Amino acid sequence: MQDARKRFHEHLDELEREIQRAGQLAEVAVARAIEALVRHDVALADQVIAGDDELDRRYIDVERGVLDLLATQSPVASDLRRLSAILHINLHLERIGDMAVNIAKIFKSIRELPGSPTVLAHVQEMGDVVGPMIRAAMEAFARRDLQLCLRLPEMDDPVDRLNLGMYKEVASLASDPAMLDWGLRMTVVARQLERVGDHAVDIAEQVGFLLTGEFREFTDASHPVDTGI
Amino acid sequence: MRGVEVGGLSAWFGSKQVLHHVNLVAETGKVTAIIGPSGCGKSTLIRCMNRLHEEVRGARVEGKVLFDGIDLYGPGTDPVEVRRRIGMVFQRPNPFPTMSVLDNAVAGLRLGVKLSKVELRERGERALRAAGLWDEVKDRLGEPGAKLSGGQQQRLCIARALAVEPEVLLMDEPASALDPASTLRIEELIGELKDDYTVVIVTHNMQQAARVSDFTLFMLYGEVVEFAPTQKIFTRPDDQRTEDYVTGRFG
Repeated sequence: MQDARKRFHEHLDELEREIQRAGQLAEVAVARAIEALVRHDVALADQVIAGDDELDRRYIDVERGVLDLLATQSPVASDLRRLSAILHINLHLERIGDMAVNIAKIFKSIRELPGSPTVLAHVQEMGDVVGPMIRAAMEAFARRDLQLCLRLPEMDDPVDRLNLGMYKEVASLASDPAMLDWGLRMTVVARQLERVGDHAVDIAEQVGFLLTGEFREFTDASHPVDTGI
Repeated sequence: MRGVEVGGLSAWFGSKQVLHHVNLVAETGKVTAIIGPSGCGKSTLIRCMNRLHEEVRGARVEGKVLFDGIDLYGPGTDPVEVRRRIGMVFQRPNPFPTMSVLDNAVAGLRLGVKLSKVELRERGERALRAAGLWDEVKDRLGEPGAKLSGGQQQRLCIARALAVEPEVLLMDEPASALDPASTLRIEELIGELKDDYTVVIVTHNMQQAARVSDFTLFMLYGEVVEFAPTQKIFTRPDDQRTEDYVTGRFG
């Protein structure tokens, strides 16, 4: 292989390693944001907020790296699909990082209000699902595992159900205005976690495109679709 | 109507076989690109499509090239008439250096039925317009062809090929000797020509193949590896060898 092309493929490998590291950071950020909320740990919430700079820096580095390769290397076929997948996954991970920050900030804004252990357990339960979803999507990318990609929508179902269930939990707090105020913020937290799940599914869709060359949405809010590839 | 249909085509230089049972359909109104590493038989293939290959001493061909239902290698087919209907443009612009721009454009017409000066002028203008060169040379028709820029000379050669009113245009790396602006002009021209002609282009520039063609044929060691819509070849080819070639993993 020509040296220039070899270097191009080495750059691609490096970008993929970067995105895998970003995936780990995003997963940790979400887990820590939930832990800060559930354990009432302000220092941990601050750590999540400050730690997002690292994720943002990687996001910009990967974005630049992808654009450089698109501009200079004219990638085609699997190289093109891989770069396209990296570009999209990069954005999804950056958004997941932002959602972790949102949760940390929400916690800090309501930490003086009374809360409900039941609702917190509900949030924790959502976190226990979305963390493995991020991991599974990134593992599917690393292992080029189409079957694992296809499991993501199924993993996402409980997240959607838990998000809807949160409204009922919060409605039951209506008799106490302070707790209701806290509870309404928890619906926003649940919404953030539901979006994290959606981003994990979107990452799996990108991996599916990389592997098959066919882009299909695994889930579609307006049209239910067959997930079989 | 179908364009040019190549069936089970094999070709030799002396005892060396350079094409092995090649099949290809170049559709009318479409651009077909032929890609592959040096020496894979790309140029030989298109030279078989207008019977130029046999002009090389010791060269021979087996198989069929059908055009408009006629076997170009059938008995009684006139190679000169074949080359009129299936024109060719080569890698390096090769206008007749001392001949004027207009005379270059109509050089092929002087070989056939005698035309009046007025008719020659009209046919020349039509060809130069079709080649996208008219506006640049209409005031320089009497100047030697060699005085034009490289890109203009190549379009003059395209005009010369078009003047004899072919139905198919074969292009063997038509932009490889040109600067980027002239290359872009040739590529635009190919896009315009495909409405009226069947175009087959051999190119080493894969991005050019991706930009200008509707179908792409990838060849290796004289054999067809993959023939598919260009978009498919450059996004998700079926054959691993195509994938390796277009992504630069070998070549």
